[in-house]
Amino acid sequence: MKTKFDLPGIKKLLLRRPADTESLDASAAPARALFGPTPETAVAEKGSSLVDFLKQVTLFEDLGRRDLRRLARIVHERDYHDGEYIFQEGKPGATFFVLRRGLIEVVREGSSGTEVPLAMLEPPASFEESAAMGAESVRWFSARARGPVSLLTLGKSDLDALSVNFPLLANKVLMRLAGIMAIRFRMLLDAQYLKESEKPQETDQ
Amino acid sequence: MTLADTSSRAGVVFKSLAAAAGVVLGAYLVWGLRSLIVPATVGGLLAYICRPLVARLERSRVPRGVAIVLLLLVFVLAALVIVNRIRAVMPSDADALELRIRALYTLNHRYEALMGLDRPLTRGNRIYRLMHDDLDPLLDRVGQLLALTPEERAQFVASRPRGAHDAPAGSDRLVEYERANVETLERRARAALAEPATKSAPRSLAASAPTPAAQTPLAALGDILSTWIMFLFLLRDTGEIKRGLLRTVPNRLFEPALNVLADLDRALGDYVRGLFLECCLLGLTVVLLLTLIGVPLQWAIAIGIFTGATNVIPYMGFAAALLSGLAYALLAEDIRPPLPMVSSENFVIWVIVAVALAELLKNVVYEPIVLGGAVNLHPLVVVIGVLGGAVLFGLVGMLLAVPTITVVKVLVSSTARQLKAYGLI
Repeated sequence: MKTKFDLPGIKKLLLRRPADTESLDASAAPARALFGPTPETAVAEKGSSLVDFLKQVTLFEDLGRRDLRRLARIVHERDYHDGEYIFQEGKPGATFFVLRRGLIEVVREGSSGTEVPLAMLEPPASFEESAAMGAESVRWFSARARGPVSLLTLGKSDLDALSVNFPLLANKVLMRLAGIMAIRFRMLLDAQYLKESEKPQETDQ
Repeated sequence: MTLADTSSRAGVVFKSLAAAAGVVLGAYLVWGLRSLIVPATVGGLLAYICRPLVARLERSRVPRGVAIVLLLLVFVLAALVIVNRIRAVMPSDADALELRIRALYTLNHRYEALMGLDRPLTRGNRIYRLMHDDLDPLLDRVGQLLALTPEERAQFVASRPRGAHDAPAGSDRLVEYERANVETLERRARAALAEPATKSAPRSLAASAPTPAAQTPLAALGDILSTWIMFLFLLRDTGEIKRGLLRTVPNRLFEPALNVLADLDRALGDYVRGLFLECCLLGLTVVLLLTLIGVPLQWAIAIGIFTGATNVIPYMGFAAALLSGLAYALLAEDIRPPLPMVSSENFVIWVIVAVALAELLKNVVYEPIVLGGAVNLHPLVVVIGVLGGAVLFGLVGMLLAVPTITVVKVLVSSTARQLKAYGLI
């Protein structure tokens, strides 16, 4: 299904609550809307070099080759093994991530203390953009590697340094980050609105 | 005890031993390569300061390599201009002799006037009675430095117009000064002999103070080369060192480490920028105040630049301003101050007042506003750090003491804060 929000890494919006609502935390439904359901197949690496890969990422698709090369000089490459947490809910956040290889499971702790799976991300998904923009960001979900995972990360401090040294490039990146955050916010509102509008129907049933 | 427990304990012991061996090896390497620490740090600090300039050129589509070469060319040109300027104002041998004669004469004359000394130099006013135990040995040492040796005296006499030295009094001012200097030194020697033995003891002690060993030219060349290699290496780096460092960090420590590095960068950047601004403001204040009390503008600017440059070492700016201002006050013969209360008799006191006022402004106004909380070190820590730096690495150690303490302080506090925030401690 093609959504009106063209965000790579999110194939389909989860606007309806799944059938097994008993096992999931109801409050997590809007959160799930920010990601997609588990993709059926893992996506392989699409670009050979870092610059080629960055070109495929929605955030950076408007950037020229020179800017991409500059960006490639400041991003950090991290590798994770199966089951390793990329970050954990409730901890401070100072970087955002772009998935380069592998799959990432997004989970959130439910009210009963159990982990609620929200989504499975595939390359070239980006997530936690707000952490790179906000001053005091706290992670509201956990991300865990499913199999070997390779990520690119960019910290708030990296973006600050970019703003000083290359303000035009930093401005482009920040504008894209803000745009993606706005889309996610709309998705969240839509999901919340639909969830609430479905409530009377569920009661009737 | 189970097999798993034994294995776990063996792992802990192995890790502890490996960590201890690492610390010992690290300490050995630091000690072995200690001669490289200072040039490497100076090169690193220079590269850190120049990095924004290279980025600015890069932003204007100048390739990084070309930007670095351009920067180096500017440095070389600036160094050549400065060396030429210094060479232009450096006095010749004959000029240096004249300068010493004039300085010693003015010093003796002003000291006698200020202290109200009688002819045999044994009785003076209240200030003299209060301070002569400390000031006399100092004056003796300065007198020994400035007084001409017999060979220099012969050279001076030979450089004067024929017959000037035997001419009647008043016909050659410098010859008169030289005669007066010799006479004053003789009077001082007689006065010193008349003093009790205990009072003359510090003079001989002060004169025998050891002087630090001079650095060999080869070692100096090695230091300069190391500094420049480190400077170029770090300036060429586009973030590989930082990323390489972060690659060695485990994933769970990645974000805290990134934040600690950002805190370090911020603290060092704030310190360097704040210090630069503070040095400029102090230099400007010294220029204004000295001009106001009658120092000619060109000399006031020279003293201001010297003061601003030396202010990078804590408390050194004040000392430099005071010494250079006093040196001018002693050498100056013709003063035309805009302020009516300044005269050639009290000029030295006004120089001290002007320098003290500049230092006060620096401490009370500039430092809190410009540096703010960038350093925030206790004065005692600064003093101990600067003295420790001087003992370990000399002048450069003094220069690097405060930035080093700042880095260590931020490293420790930021690491603790980040580890706590991420629930790692």
